[in-house]
Amino acid sequence: MSEFKLHHLVVELIELLGSSSAPEKHVEKLQKEGVPTSASALAIIASQSSICNLAKKSPVPELFLQKYEELKAKKVDLLGLFIQLLELISEDKELKNYLAKEASNVSSLSTKNAAITTEDLPQICKNVIKAAVEGEKKLNKVCAITKKTESSVIKHNWVYERPRITWDFYNEPNVMPCQKVVPIISQESILLWDILYCLKGIDGTYIVSEPLTSPHAVKTFNISPDVCISYKQLTQQILPLASHYSMATRFVEEKVLAEDGQVNHALRGAIKSLLKDYLLEMEHVRGKLNLQKLWFYIQPTMIAMSILSQITSTICKANAKGGKVLSLLHEQANNISGEAKFKELCLFLIQTASIPYMQILEKWVYKGVICDPYEEFFVEDNELIHREELPIDYSADYWEKRYTMRPERTPTFLNEQAQTIMRTGKYFNVIRQCGKIVQWRKQESLIYQHQGQKYIATIDRAYSEAAKTLLEVLIHENDLMGRLRSVKNYFLLAQGDFVVQFMNLCETELNKNMYDIVIHRLASLLEVALRMSTADSDPYKDDLKPELLPYDLQFQMFRILSIQTRDEKEYSSQTDKTLTGLEAFVFNYDVKWPVSLILNRKAVACYQMLHLFYCKYIERRLCRVWVSNKIAKTFTHNVAMSYRQAFSLRQRMLDCIQHLAYYMMVEVIEPNWLTFISKMSKVSNVDDVLSVHQDLQDSYLKECMLTDPDLLGCITGICSACLEFCNFMERMSPYYIDAELTSMIGAYQEDVYDCEDDDGDMYKENAVSFEETIISLDEKFTQVLIRLLDRICDLGCDNNNEKLLNVFCRLDFNLFYTDILIRRGREKTMQEDVSG
Amino acid sequence: MPCEMITLQLGQCGNQIGFEFWKKLCAEHGISSEGILEDYATEGTDRKDVFFYQSDDEHYIPRAVLLDLEPRVIHTIMNSPYSKLYNPENIYLSKHGGGAGNNWASGYHQGEKLQEEIFDILDREADGSDSLEVYTIILLELVLLGFVLCHSIAGGTGSGMGSFMLESLADRFPKKLIETYSVFPNQDEISDVVVQPYNSLLTLKRLTQCADCVVVLDNTALNRIASDRLHIQNPSFTQINKLVSTIMSVSTTTLRYPSYMNNDLVGLIAPLIPTPRLHFLMTGYTPLTTDQEGASVRKTSVLDVMRRLLQPKNMMVSTALDRNASHCYISILNIIQGEVDPTQVHKSLQRIRERKLAQFIPWGPASIQVALSRKSPYIQSTHRVSGLMLANHTNISSLFDRALQQYDKLRKREAFLEQFRKEKMFEDNLDELDNSREVVEYLVKEYQAATRVDYLSWNPSKLET
Repeated sequence: MSEFKLHHLVVELIELLGSSSAPEKHVEKLQKEGVPTSASALAIIASQSSICNLAKKSPVPELFLQKYEELKAKKVDLLGLFIQLLELISEDKELKNYLAKEASNVSSLSTKNAAITTEDLPQICKNVIKAAVEGEKKLNKVCAITKKTESSVIKHNWVYERPRITWDFYNEPNVMPCQKVVPIISQESILLWDILYCLKGIDGTYIVSEPLTSPHAVKTFNISPDVCISYKQLTQQILPLASHYSMATRFVEEKVLAEDGQVNHALRGAIKSLLKDYLLEMEHVRGKLNLQKLWFYIQPTMIAMSILSQITSTICKANAKGGKVLSLLHEQANNISGEAKFKELCLFLIQTASIPYMQILEKWVYKGVICDPYEEFFVEDNELIHREELPIDYSADYWEKRYTMRPERTPTFLNEQAQTIMRTGKYFNVIRQCGKIVQWRKQESLIYQHQGQKYIATIDRAYSEAAKTLLEVLIHENDLMGRLRSVKNYFLLAQGDFVVQFMNLCETELNKNMYDIVIHRLASLLEVALRMSTADSDPYKDDLKPELLPYDLQFQMFRILSIQTRDEKEYSSQTDKTLTGLEAFVFNYDVKWPVSLILNRKAVACYQMLHLFYCKYIERRLCRVWVSNKIAKTFTHNVAMSYRQAFSLRQRMLDCIQHLAYYMMVEVIEPNWLTFISKMSKVSNVDDVLSVHQDLQDSYLKECMLTDPDLLGCITGICSACLEFCNFMERMSPYYIDAELTSMIGAYQEDVYDCEDDDGDMYKENAVSFEETIISLDEKFTQVLIRLLDRICDLGCDNNNEKLLNVFCRLDFNLFYTDILIRRGREKTMQEDVSG
Repeated sequence: MPCEMITLQLGQCGNQIGFEFWKKLCAEHGISSEGILEDYATEGTDRKDVFFYQSDDEHYIPRAVLLDLEPRVIHTIMNSPYSKLYNPENIYLSKHGGGAGNNWASGYHQGEKLQEEIFDILDREADGSDSLEVYTIILLELVLLGFVLCHSIAGGTGSGMGSFMLESLADRFPKKLIETYSVFPNQDEISDVVVQPYNSLLTLKRLTQCADCVVVLDNTALNRIASDRLHIQNPSFTQINKLVSTIMSVSTTTLRYPSYMNNDLVGLIAPLIPTPRLHFLMTGYTPLTTDQEGASVRKTSVLDVMRRLLQPKNMMVSTALDRNASHCYISILNIIQGEVDPTQVHKSLQRIRERKLAQFIPWGPASIQVALSRKSPYIQSTHRVSGLMLANHTNISSLFDRALQQYDKLRKREAFLEQFRKEKMFEDNLDELDNSREVVEYLVKEYQAATRVDYLSWNPSKLET
C-alpha cells in the first residue's frame, strides 16, 4: 500500500466520522506501527481464545457462535481481522460506550426522520417520483445489458429443467418407505438392493431419501421402521457413503454454468470421472453380497467419498471459484495426513483443477496478457482508457490502476509469489506496449506441485527476465536518466543560465494577466531561450513546453494535501481572482511512453509545484530595484538617509530570498539528487525505480517546505511582501530622479531645499508617505519572516527536520533577528509592567 | 545574452592585468592564443559568451577594449602569441604616444579629447555583439549588462582617463553595471610618482560616485602575499598580475559555468552592497600556489578554506589594524570551487558562527553567502577545494584614510601643484581637489558609521549643524 493510498483511506475515514483532526498524525502513527499489508497478514486466523472471550461477553453467546461458524463456513475474507477488531472494541470500555451512544444517536435520528410532517409530504413525493424515474432508467439499462448477455451465452442447466435426469436422488413428493412386513431373514437381500440403489443415487423401497433442507445440506435417509434393528444399524453405517455421493454429484451437476469458471469446470470433470469409477465399482460388488461384506468392501471408498463430499460442500458453501477453489483444495491436501492414497486423491483433484488456472498464469507470466473471462485469476485488468487516446493520463494511471491484485483470488500456494507474478506480467505488458517482442528460448509450462518448488523457480526466472528487459528498455533504450537530468535542469533550475535567459525574454509577456498571454509566443520565446543558453546541448530540450495553470502554487498544494484547515477554504474561495502570467506559469514536459511510466503526470505536477521559479523571479525583481537604486550614490546626505531605510529593507529581503533559494537548491535538491543517482545504480526492477523516484519527490516536497501549510503560508507571505516592495520602489523611481536633481544643485541650495521641506509641499508629502510606506512594508516583512523562523524552530526541534534549521541558522547568522525578538519581548514585558 | 560584460583596460597597469586575465580565461575555456576553440573543448557546457563573442564558427574574440596613452605595454601585447586574439579595432593608442606623464589632470583631459573615438568603439561593442541576427531586435536592450574597468589609481592614464571614462559611462549608461578592478599603490615603497596622492584622491571621488562596485586590489598586500605566501623574493609584475587575474576570473566563474545559483552578476553583487555608496570590496583567495610547487593534490577541507579566507594575511588589501573602531563585515560572499559537500559548507559556517571568527554589522542581517561553483575542466588544479572571498568590510576606510593623510601632507606644502594648474580643470582654482577630499572624507565617515547600530539614521550634515 503506498503512502498516498493510506493517506487517502485515512482521510476518507475521518470524513466519514466527521472528525476534525489532521490526517497526517494518524498516517504517521500507522506507518510507525507498521500496518500489515501483505496478503499473508490479511489471512490471520482468529484465535480460539479471542472467540471464547467475545462469546463470553456477548449477551447471547450461542447466537454469536452460530453466526461466527456460519461466516467461517463461508470462508469470508478478513474474518480473522474482523474478530480482532471486535475483541479490541470489547476490551476498550471507552470506545464501547462511545459506540453505544452513537448507535443510539443514529437510531434516534432515524426515528426523528420517521416523523413526517405534512409540510414534508410534497417534498417526499417529489423525491419518490424522482427516485422511481431514476430507478426505472437504471432497470432499463440493466435489462438491456442482461438481454445482451443472455442472447450470447446460453445458460442452461439441464438438471434443473429436467429433474429426472439427475444422478442424484430424485425426490417424488411425499414418498415414504414401504411399510410391508417382510420376515427378518428376507430383509437383508432387499436392504442390500436398496442400499446399492441408494449408493447410486436412486431411492430404494425401504430406504428413501429425504428432501434437502438447503441446497448444500447433507442428504439424509429415512429407513423403514420395520427393518430389524441390527440391519438398521449397519445400514445407517453404510448410508453416509450415499450422502457423500449425493453431495459430490450435486456439485458435478451444479457447476456447469459458464460463470462458475474454468477451475470449477476442471474440478467437476475430475470428480465426474471419479464418480464414474465409483459407479462401476458399485456395479462390480453387486451379486455376491451380504450386508457385512458390503460394509467391508466399501471401507476404502467411504473415506475417499467423504473427502470428495467435504471438498465439494466447502466449495459450494463458500460459493468459491477460481483461485479460491484452488486455495481450498490446497488446504484440504495439506490437512490430510493419513494414508498416502487419499493424499494422492486430493493431489489428483488439485492438479486437474489447477490446469486452466496455470494456463492463465502462464500467459500472464510469459506474455503479460490476461485471458480470464470468468474473473478467476488474481490479477485483474482494468483497462479503462486506451493508450492511443490519452497518452499522459494513461501512463499516470497505468502503473497504479491498470492491474490490481485481488487477494481473495490468490491460491494460497502462490501467496508468496503473488507480488512477483503481478510484476512479471506487468513488465511484459509494458515491454509489449513498447513494441518489443520477448523472445523465449523455452517456455517451461507451469504445473502445480504440492511439494516441489519447480513452478516457483520458473516464475522467478520469468520475473528476473522481465525485470531485466524492462529496465534495459527504460534506462538504455529510452535514456531514462538523461530524461530525468533534463527535467532537473529545467524544473529544478539546475540550468541556471537558461532560467536567467528565459526570464530576460519573457518577463514582459509574463507580467500580463494570464488570459492576455499568447501561449504560442511564450513557446517561441522559450525555444529561443533554450537555444541561446547552454541548454542547447540537451537533446531533449524540445520537449519542454510552457504552460499556464488556472491556479497558483499555494492553491494547488493545499488541494493536493487536502488539508482540512480553515486556510484551505480561504484559498479555495479566492480561486476566481485572475492570476498574472508569472503566478500561473509552469514548465511542462512532453514525455513519451514508456518513460511516461516514471515521469507521469503526477510526477511532473510534483516538479511543477516546487516554487523555485517564482523565487528566482523575486530575486530578480529585488536585484532590479538594486540597480535602479544605485543612482543614490550621488544624493546628498539628507536624501540618502531617508532612502537608507528602504535600502536596508531591500537588503534584508534579498538576503532572505537568496538564503531560501540556496537552501532549496544546494542543500535540498542537489544532495537528494545525488542519493537518487546512487540508488538508481542499484535498482533491479521498475517498481524500484518508481519508488526511488517517489522518494526523491517526497523529500523535495517535504524539505522545500511545501508539505507544511504554515511554512508554505510564510513563504508565500514573504514572496508577496517582497513583490509589493518592488512594485512600490519601481513606482517611486521617478522621484529619485527628482531627488538626484535636487541634490545636484542641493550642494549650493541646501537652504532652499530645507525651507521647502518645512513648507510641507508636495515633495515632502511624498517623502513622508514614502517613509511611512517603507516602515509598514518593513513591519509586514519582518512579521512574516519571524513567523517563518518561529515555525522552522518548532519543526526543527522535533522529528527529522534538522535540515530546516540550516535556514534558520543562515538567516540569523549575526543574530540580527534574535536581537529583534529579544527587544520586542522586552518591550512587551515593559508595557505589561507599565499597564500592570 | 544575460551577462555580457565589456572589459575596458586602461593604462599600463590595466592593460597588463587585462593581458593576464584574458590569458587565464582562454586557458579556462579551452581557447587557443589565436582565439580558436581547442579540439578538446568543443563539447563544453560553459558559457564563453559572457566575455567572448564569436566572429565565426570557431573564432572567439574577447569583448575587450584596450586603451593607453603610451605604446609600451600594448606593443608588448601585440608582440606576444596572443596578438591575434584581440579585435584590432578595439585597441586604441593615443597618436602622439606621449602618455599622461603620471598626471591625473593630463590623463583626464586627453580622455575628454579622445572621447568621440573611444565611444565609437564602445557603442559598436555594446550594440553589435550578437551574432544571432534574427533575435537581435528582442535582445537589443538586454545585450549589455555592464562594464568592467581595469586600471590603477596612482598613475596618469589609468587614474585620469579612467576617471573620465567612469564619469561618461555613468552618464551614458545609467542603468548598466560598472564594476572596476582598481589597483591601489604600494604603501611600503617610495613611489616614483610624486603626485600619486593627488591622483589617488581625484580617482577615489569618481570611484565613489560613478562606479557601482569597486574591487580594491592593494599593491601593498599583493606584494606581501607574493613574498610571504608564495615565497617570491622580488615579485615581478607578471606574478602579481597573475594573482589579480585569478581573482578576476574566479569572481565570474558562476556566470561562466552555470549551475543552480548565481547566474546573474547583479544577483552576485547586489547582496554585497546594501547601500550604494559603500561599494568597495576586498578580496581574498586561498590556497595560493606557484607553478613550481604542489605536484600532489592536497586535501584541503571546506572549513580550512573558509577559515583562511577570514584571516587578514590572505586579504589582498592591507589595512591598518584600527583597534578603536569596531570594524566589521557588512557582507561576505565566498565562491567555493571544487568538490564540495553542502553539509560541510554548513558545518563550516556554524563553526565560524560559534567561534565568532567574523564580526558583522549590527544594523541588519549579514552572513557569509556561499556560491558553489564548478571549475574549468581543462585546468588541472593541485587543490581539491579553493575559495575566493569578496567582502565588504568597514575597515577598507583605513585605506582611504591613509590616502587622505598623504594628500593632506602634500597639500599642506602646496607641493607639485604646478603640473595640475597647467590643465583646464585647475586653471582657476583647486576646488576639484577640495571637493574630492570632502567626498572621500564623507566616505570614510560613512564606513565608520556603518559599524554602529544607528547607521540607518546616520546623517553627517545634521550632525555638523
